[in-house]
Amino acid sequence: MTTELPVDVDTLRTQVREKYRDVALDPHGQHHFHTGRPLAARLGYDADIVDALPDRAVESFAGVGNPFSLRQIQPGERVVDVGSGAGFDSFVAATHVGATGRVIGIDMTAEMLTKSRVTAGELGFGHVEFREGLAETIPVETGWADVVISNGVINLCADKQAVFAEIFRVLRPGGILQFADIANGRPVPIEAIRDIDLWTG
Amino acid sequence: MGWHKMLEDSGFDQITIGPAVDTFGGAIGEQKARSFEVYGYAFLARRP
Repeated sequence: MTTELPVDVDTLRTQVREKYRDVALDPHGQHHFHTGRPLAARLGYDADIVDALPDRAVESFAGVGNPFSLRQIQPGERVVDVGSGAGFDSFVAATHVGATGRVIGIDMTAEMLTKSRVTAGELGFGHVEFREGLAETIPVETGWADVVISNGVINLCADKQAVFAEIFRVLRPGGILQFADIANGRPVPIEAIRDIDLWTG
Repeated sequence: MGWHKMLEDSGFDQITIGPAVDTFGGAIGEQKARSFEVYGYAFLARRP
């Protein structure tokens, strides 16, 4: 079965990449959303964990909620972070899983990947790695993950069912998806849904 | 909420949705978010 998507997938991806390249390179610039430590505090992240992370790990954080608020990640778990950005949620997860667990962050924006990899090295987090990839084709083997996290990413994907199918694939049976995203209380007109500028701004 | 149905249709169960969070309050994008009552939510779902 095929479903007509409301926007051009490649155009949307290009615009999302451009937007988050700016957030990686200029985290304190003018963005339409909050970023960094003030945002993490606003969303109720554990202050002890956030305070222990260097600015580089936190400043480009641009999530929309707290994927750790409904369930605590457990020591030893294997976590995939879909749309890991500069790595903030991956580093929070890495703190929870400890050295016996593993975290794989997936992102499609080169500048974010570079930033997250450098930070992981500075932190000495050998149990965290970042891979280039798309939410619709996650570069992780089937059934590998105990947990998949994501934050403000799936709403930016044109084909959400494809993303959820891929997350389902990488989770082991009994595995948990814990993510944060936005939802609207008022219906969005179809003309607005087709306006790609509104997806990223 | 559309997310709940998408998760169900994708085969997930034990779906939980957390309370709304005013993600965009005080941000440049606040007015646009308000116009469609956009808030952040946490979601939990299990692969059976």
